[in-house]
Amino acid sequence: MSEVINLQDKIKAELLDISGTINKIVDSYKSLHSPLVESQENVPKATQQLDKISEQTAAATHRMLDTAELITPREDEVIAGLNKIKEIVQNNETTGVIELCDALAQKASDNNNDAFVIMDALQFQDITSQQIDHAVVLLEELEVKLSKILSALNSEGEETPAPKMPSKKQRAYDPHADLFDKKTNQNDIDSLFAKK
Amino acid sequence: MADLKILAVDDSPTMRRIILNTLKRAGFTDVVEAVDGKDALAKMEVDNFNFVITDWNMPEMDGLTFVTTLRKNDKYKTLPILMVTTRSVKDDILEAMKAGVSNYIVKPFTPDTLKEKIDQILAG
Repeated sequence: MSEVINLQDKIKAELLDISGTINKIVDSYKSLHSPLVESQENVPKATQQLDKISEQTAAATHRMLDTAELITPREDEVIAGLNKIKEIVQNNETTGVIELCDALAQKASDNNNDAFVIMDALQFQDITSQQIDHAVVLLEELEVKLSKILSALNSEGEETPAPKMPSKKQRAYDPHADLFDKKTNQNDIDSLFAKK
Repeated sequence: MADLKILAVDDSPTMRRIILNTLKRAGFTDVVEAVDGKDALAKMEVDNFNFVITDWNMPEMDGLTFVTTLRKNDKYKTLPILMVTTRSVKDDILEAMKAGVSNYIVKPFTPDTLKEKIDQILAG
């Protein structure tokens, strides 16, 4: 009889031990589940952000190249025109010089305007740098979550201090910064201020 | 236009150069740069400006805090402030208006828009 009771106690103790282990596993799963889900969400966000940067950088670069391609042949024409003026002056034949000077002045003015088009297009750098900051922050968050997961796996359920991450650069960015997609256009902004 | 002294506040060196060149082309040559709201406030303590162009997202002190800080000071209650930012969500624009900006431009902007807004603000 006493042997049966002893066996029951042993089984009870084993069951309690198994129950404790299961509880620890459930707790560990819960602590891993949330960072894993968040990490899974952040990776596509960061990837989309990086794709956007790549597309917008390419678009702005093409705009600048298109404009530069207008400037360079115009510069060739200005040089040729100046050589022509020199030739005319050397030969003392002034016919058409005024027209030629006007045409050259127009080309120089067009080049000046186009240089400003390139300067405007360079605003992409500020916008894509904010997009990069956004992607970096998403990846940094992922890094922290993965470190927590690794820490939980290494500690085998024991409580350990939060992982020490390297200090991050201070980033100030607009998560919606976009070269083309303005949520509110300038006319609507003007209407808001007109009502003020 | 000649006596207009402008403070251009933006954390992006590229944007500051673009704004400076655009202003210069529009005839505004007296322009001082600041890298964020904190730097701008320090520059305003030692110099007098009659026009401010500011970005929103900046480290140390953002543009919205900078504008709110300025408007709390009687000296800057009527100072023209133009916000030039990537933030184009309507709620952000309303928040900037509430903080006291005189007008608002979303980046990327054209030189004509910048000049037009400055002229509008100055015309009152």
